[in-house]
Amino acid sequence: MITLTINGKEIRLDKPVTVLKAAQQAGIKIPTLCNHELLKPFGGCRLCVVEVERMPKLMTSCTLMAADGMVVRTESDTIADVRRAILEFLLINHPLDCPVCDKAGECELQDAVMQYGPPTGRFIEEKRKVRESHDDPILARNMERCIVCTRCVRMCEDVQGASAISMIERGGRTVMEPFSSRSFNCEYCGNCITACPVGSILSRLYMHSYRPWQMDKEVETICGYCGVGCSFVAQVRDESIKRVIPRIGFGMNNGLLCSKGRFGYGFIEDSGRLKTPLIRKGDALVESTWDDALDLVAEKLTEIKDSYGGRAIGGIASARCTNEDNYVFQKFMRVACGTNNIDSISRTGYAAAQKYFEGLLGQGINANIIGGIKRSDMVLVLGGDPASVNPVLGLSIRAAAKAGAEVAVIGHAPGLERYKTINVLPPLFKEADILEALLLEVFRARGNRGESHAIDRAVSEFDKEYSGKTDMHGLEELKDKLLKSDSISIVFGMDLVQRTDGHRALFATAGLTHLLEARLYLLSERPNEQGVIDAGCVPDMLPGGRPLGIPDFRRRYEDAWKRPIPDTEGMTLMEMIEGAKKGDMKALYIMGDNPVFNLPDRTFIKESLASLDFLVVQDIFLTETAELADVVLPALGWPEKSGTYTNLERRIQLLRKTVETTSGMDDWSIISRLSCRMGYDMLYTDAENVMDEISRVSPLYRNLSYKEISDKECLWPYNGEPLRGEAKDIKVIKEKSRDYDADLYLALDKPLFHSGSISQRSPGLMDISPEPRLKIGTRLAEKMCLKDGDNVIISADRGSISIRVSIDPCVNGKVVLMSNNFKEKGALGIMGYNLDPVTKAPGIEGCAVTLRRG
Amino acid sequence: MEKFLLRNTENPNSADIEEYIKTGGYKNISKAFELQPSDIIEEVKKSGLRGRGGAGFPTFMKWSFASADKKFPKYLICNADEGEPGTFKDRPILEKNPHLLIEGMIISGYALKAEYGYIYLRGEYPYAYDVMNQAVRDAYDKGYLGDNILGKNIKFNLVVHLGAGAYICGEETALLDSLEGRRGLPRNKPPFPVNAGAWGMPTIVNNVETLANIPHIIEIGADAYSKIGFPDCPGPKLYCVSGHVEKPGVFELPMGISLREIIYDYAGGTKNGKKLKAVFPGGISAPVLPADSIDCAMDFVSLPKAGSMLGSAAVMVMDETVCMVKIAHRAMKFFERESCGKCTPCREGTEWLRKILERIENGRGRNEDISLLTDISNNIFGKSFCALGDGAAGVMKSILKHFRAEFEEHIKEKRCRFKQKD
Repeated sequence: MITLTINGKEIRLDKPVTVLKAAQQAGIKIPTLCNHELLKPFGGCRLCVVEVERMPKLMTSCTLMAADGMVVRTESDTIADVRRAILEFLLINHPLDCPVCDKAGECELQDAVMQYGPPTGRFIEEKRKVRESHDDPILARNMERCIVCTRCVRMCEDVQGASAISMIERGGRTVMEPFSSRSFNCEYCGNCITACPVGSILSRLYMHSYRPWQMDKEVETICGYCGVGCSFVAQVRDESIKRVIPRIGFGMNNGLLCSKGRFGYGFIEDSGRLKTPLIRKGDALVESTWDDALDLVAEKLTEIKDSYGGRAIGGIASARCTNEDNYVFQKFMRVACGTNNIDSISRTGYAAAQKYFEGLLGQGINANIIGGIKRSDMVLVLGGDPASVNPVLGLSIRAAAKAGAEVAVIGHAPGLERYKTINVLPPLFKEADILEALLLEVFRARGNRGESHAIDRAVSEFDKEYSGKTDMHGLEELKDKLLKSDSISIVFGMDLVQRTDGHRALFATAGLTHLLEARLYLLSERPNEQGVIDAGCVPDMLPGGRPLGIPDFRRRYEDAWKRPIPDTEGMTLMEMIEGAKKGDMKALYIMGDNPVFNLPDRTFIKESLASLDFLVVQDIFLTETAELADVVLPALGWPEKSGTYTNLERRIQLLRKTVETTSGMDDWSIISRLSCRMGYDMLYTDAENVMDEISRVSPLYRNLSYKEISDKECLWPYNGEPLRGEAKDIKVIKEKSRDYDADLYLALDKPLFHSGSISQRSPGLMDISPEPRLKIGTRLAEKMCLKDGDNVIISADRGSISIRVSIDPCVNGKVVLMSNNFKEKGALGIMGYNLDPVTKAPGIEGCAVTLRRG
Repeated sequence: MEKFLLRNTENPNSADIEEYIKTGGYKNISKAFELQPSDIIEEVKKSGLRGRGGAGFPTFMKWSFASADKKFPKYLICNADEGEPGTFKDRPILEKNPHLLIEGMIISGYALKAEYGYIYLRGEYPYAYDVMNQAVRDAYDKGYLGDNILGKNIKFNLVVHLGAGAYICGEETALLDSLEGRRGLPRNKPPFPVNAGAWGMPTIVNNVETLANIPHIIEIGADAYSKIGFPDCPGPKLYCVSGHVEKPGVFELPMGISLREIIYDYAGGTKNGKKLKAVFPGGISAPVLPADSIDCAMDFVSLPKAGSMLGSAAVMVMDETVCMVKIAHRAMKFFERESCGKCTPCREGTEWLRKILERIENGRGRNEDISLLTDISNNIFGKSFCALGDGAAGVMKSILKHFRAEFEEHIKEKRCRFKQKD
C-alpha cells in the first residue's frame, strides 16, 4: 500500500502507478498533452509538471511513480507559470487556424490554452510552414498544427504495431511521417486520428463537414463488420453517420478500431440501396409494393409446401443479420414452412468448425475472452491472418508478442510477419499433416489428460493408427515451446476448414486444445457467426444449441411455438444448393447473403439457383444472387437496425439503431409479416420483443433482456444452461493428404480493407483499396517479368479473371492469392470445390491455375 | 607532468598494437585479472575517478549500481560520440591511442562482469572508425579480446558502432536507443541504464577518457592516482583549447589546473596578444566566463562555484574582436538544430531564441527583446527533458548576464559594430 498526499488530500494506492494516475484516481485534474491512456508515458510535453516536496526540480507527473510518503502539489504560481510558458512555446509555431480546423471544439491544445495558456503571444517571428498533405488515402495530415506529442507514433508502433509513423527530422522541424507514402505498412486503422490531440491527423470522410457540437445525436453501438464486435460511438446529423469514434474504457476494443470499423460506414447511403420490393416479370425485376411482394411469396411458398412438402424449401440465414432476425427466420422455416433446411454461409467456415469443436470438446469451448490472448505466453495461429480477418483481435496477438509471448504461425499470416517467433511453413495445403504430427508429438510427450473424455480416447486411438511421419522441420522447437508454456491461446482461422480434408486439421486442433488446456479462438469474418448458430439457423440444432434429434428438446420448442417441428435434420448449405440443381429443392429463401458471390464455383451456383421454382432474396443491395430472384425484399443495413450480435468470444452485444431510413424493413419484421400471411402468426412489436421470446424459449439466454445486455458484459454462459454431456464417439481419421503437383495454385486472400458487398460500397474503404489485386510471390514475378500493377489473366477450370498483380514477398512461390471481395473479380467464382464429408464445408484447396500477361 | 592518456602519441605509429605493447600496453590486464572484480570497483572508488563525459558523476557509483543488478548479460558501452562543439579531447585517444581505450574497456568489462562492449563512435570521425576497427581486430588476433582472454577463460567482445551524426546521441539514453537501431531520443529515467539500458539489460555507459583512465589506476594504484591534481576529483585530464589562442590543441594536465594557466602557459596566450573577452570553459553547453574570471580551477568542483561547469573541458577562447550576440546566435543555431524534438521547451524555445538573436544581430532588435530572451531562457531552464535544453538556456543566460551591454548596443545602434564591412 502506497500512501501519498496530493494537494493536501491523502491518497491510498493498491498498486504502484504514476503520480498523474494517482491524481486522476482521486479526481484531481492535471493538464496533459503527450499522455494517453493507451500509451506508455513519454514525458515530452512537460505540461503535467507538479511540485514534489524534497525534489529540487518540477517533476512531470506522467513519468513519476508515486512513492510512499510523497507530498505533491499540482497547482501553484510556479506551476501555473511553467504551464503558461509551455503553452506559449507550443503556440509559437502553431498556425492558430482554429476557425478552419476540424479539431476545434474537441482539441486538447485549445482546451489547455483556454485554461492555462497566456492571453497573448509574444512571438513575432515567422512561423514554421508545412504543406497540408492529402497524399494518403482517407487521411489528411496537417503537420503545421502538430505539437510533437508523438501519440500517433506510439499508437502506431506500440499499440497497432504497424510502425508506419515515425518522427522525422529534428527539433522544431520534426514532423510525423510517412504514414502510407513510400509503401510503409499503414493499416489505415485510424487509431492515430484517435491519438492526435490536435488537428494534425484527420479523416477526410469527416473533414470540413460538421463541428462536434453540431451533431444531432451520438449512438453507442457496435461494429457490424467482423466477429469481434468493437464498440464505438456513431455521430449522426440529418440521419447520416458523420463519423464513428471509439472510446477508451468502452467495449472490449477499448478505444481501438480497424479500417473497416472506422471508415466503412458509407455503404448505407449508397445509391444502389434497394428501396422497394422487386418482383420478377419475365427477365426483369420490377418495382412492387410490400403487400404484393409478400402475398406472392406467401402464396408460392404455401403452394410448394403443399405440393412437395417442407423438405423442398430451404432457408439461408445470415451472419450479418441479428440474433433476432435469425431466430425469427429459423422459427419461420421450421414451423411456417415445415422444414429444418436452414443453414448459412458460415457453414463454409465458422459454423463447420464450431460444430466440430463443440462436438468433441463440449459447448462453449470457443467462449474465451479476447483479452486473454494478451496474457498468454504462447499464441498458436492456424490457418488465417487474425490481423486482417479480425484486426482488433490481431492486436492482442501483437501485444502478447511485445510482452514476450511466443507466437507461432502455421499458414499465411502477413499481419503477424514481424511478430511471429516460430514459423512453421507447411507444404502447400498440408497444414493438417503438420498439426497431426504436432498433436502426436505433444501426446507422446505429455500423455492425455486422463479425464476419460471422448477426445482422450480418440487421441490415443489416433496415436496407434497414425502412419505418417512426425519429424518435420521446425516441429521440434514448436512442440518444446508448447510444452513449456503455461498459458496457450490457439487462434484458428477458417482457411483450414475450407479443405476437402478440413476435419483432419479440426481434429488435430481439438486434440491440441484439449491436451494443452489451451484457450481456443475461432476467427470470424462476419459479425454474428456465433449468433446465427445460437439462434438455431443450423439444420441439426434448435436455438441455444439444443440437438434437434432429442425429442425432449424438440417438444419444449413445439410447446413454446405451438406448432410441430419436423423431426429430421435438415440439409446443410451446400446440400441445399446441390439439391436445387438435382430438383429436390424447389424454393430457397435467402436472407442477407449472396451465395452466388460468396460460394465457390459461380457457374454451378447460378445454375443451381436458376433451377429453383422460386427464389426469394432479402438484402440491402441488388446482389448477384438477388438478380436471380423471383422476389427481392429490401432489408436494413446494420447501422439501421436494433438487435443483438454474438461475437466470436460469445459476448452478446446490443446493436443500436443509429440512423432512420425509409429504404427497407427489418429482416425479422419482413419474415413475421410473411409468416402471418402463411397462417402462422408472429406478432412482434420490435426487436426487443423478439429477444424477450428468445430468452423465454432458449435455455441459453434465460432471462436475458436488453437492459441486462446494455448494463453489463453479457458473456457465455450468460444466465443460461450450457448443454453438458458426453460427446459423440469420433471416427479416427486415416486419410493422407493429396499430392499437389501443379505449377501454380490459387488460394483465397482475406484482405484487411474489405469484407464484400458492403465494404465495396463504402467510399472510405474504396479510397484505401480501390481495386482487387492478385498477390504473387517475388520469384514468380521475376520469372514472368511482372511489375506491381501489371495486368494478368488468371485461368482456372471454372473461369478466368483479368486482374492486376501486386508483388508480395510473403507469398509462397507455388501459390497466388486473390480476394473474394470485388464484383466480378472474386476468386471463389473460378474455384471448384469438393465437400468435406465430415463438416460439409466446401473444400477449395488445390485449385490449379495458369497465369498469362494480359 | 608525465603523460598517461596521451602517452607515446607523438610517435606516428602509436596506434599500432606492437608499439603499444612495447611501451607497456596491455600489461595492466593481467594485473587486473589477478584481482577480484569487486576489488577493481573498490580501487576505482578509492581513486576518486569521476566521469569525464561532462557531468562528473563518480564512476564507481555507476559501476556499483550495475554490478548489484542480478540481470545478465551486462553491457559496457564507451560513449565516443564526441559531439560537443569545441571538443576534441577523445579524438587523440581514439585515433592515436586506441589500445589504451580497449585495455581500459577489457579491465572495466572484467570488473563489471560485462562480456559485451560497444564503442559508440561519433559519425563524423571516419578516421577514428578505421583506426578503432583495426585496433579491435588486432586485439582479437592477439587474444586480448574474445571468449578466452589470455587463456584465462574471461570473455569480452567489442564492437565499434558508428553513429549517424546526432548531438543528442551523446546523451547516454539516446545513445542506447540509437545503438539499438532506433531514433535517438532520451529515455525516461528511472529505470536508469545501470539497471535497464541496452536491450533492457544493465548497462554502463562511460566516456572514452574515463575508460582510458582505468589502466592507469590499475598501473599506479588508487592511492597514487588520487594524488594527481585536485583532491576532490583527481586524475589526469585532457583539456582541448580552441579559438583565439596562439597554440590550440589538446593538453593532458592534472585536474584542477587554472584556466589562466591553460590559456597562457600551454596554449600560448591569446592570438596576436589581443585582449581576452570571454571563455567557454567546457564546450558550448557550459556557461561563458568573462575575462576576469579565468583564475578559477578547471575541475568539476571549482567551476560550478565560478558560475560555469567543466563539461567536456573544451576551452573556447574569444578575444575582443568577437561579437557576443553573434556567439549566442551561433550557439542557439546549434542547439536548435540538434534539439531532438522530444520536449516542448527545448524544441520550441531554442528556435525562438535563435530567431530573436538573428534579428538583434541584423539590427532589427527591439527593447523588449532582452527581457524576452531572459524569459524564454528561464522557461527552458529546468523544464526540459534532458540536459540539452538546460545547456542552451544556461549559455544564453550567462551571455546575457555578462554581456548585456552588447545586446543593448545592438538594439540601440540597430547594427552590429563587429561586422566587418566588405
